Amino acid sequence: MPTMTKTNRTYWVTPAVGVAAGLIYLIGFSVGGKPGYGLIALGIMVVFSAGIALAGRRSETVRGLLDHRDERLAGIDLRATAVTAVVMILALLAGFVVEVARGHDGSPYALIGAVGGVAYLGAVGYFRVRS
Amino acid sequence: MRNDVRERRTAKGLAQAELARELAVSRQTINSIETGRYTPSLPLAIAIARFFGSSVEEIFHADHD
Repeated sequence: MPTMTKTNRTYWVTPAVGVAAGLIYLIGFSVGGKPGYGLIALGIMVVFSAGIALAGRRSETVRGLLDHRDERLAGIDLRATAVTAVVMILALLAGFVVEVARGHDGSPYALIGAVGGVAYLGAVGYFRVRS
Repeated sequence: MRNDVRERRTAKGLAQAELARELAVSRQTINSIETGRYTPSLPLAIAIARFFGSSVEEIFHADHD
């Protein structure tokens, strides 16, 4: 049973981002001439967002991951995000190597990797100044 | 890091969920602190100490102490 009963604005950020992403998918698919796929993507994201919002009412862990009020769960979220980033970087590198080995220029993996690298350096600089 | 949170909580007759509510954290976090699996941040350690009317050093003990 959750002990933190009040919801704050942060709690709704992830579900809201999920719905917003679904709307962006809908726009993307519609521009691409496949609005049906867009509606399916939007439906999946709405169900996902509603699911995590409801799960947060029953699970302390989900609630803590959504509202970030519990420092231990916020730390777990941060470390899990870092692990996810490492896995994504490895997948990106693998994709880049495969593309280069096929005689291509490595896109889009090279561009995504560059964006990630710039984002990391920017974040280090920002947090270095802030802390 | 060892601590006396469980002893102090039970001495007050509080459940983990009640202490968690007072400190605005999850019950899981209180359990993790009590079992020594999680070392709280300084602000939370101070909040715990204030709740029990003690200092941080009286509740939390470094392993080499």
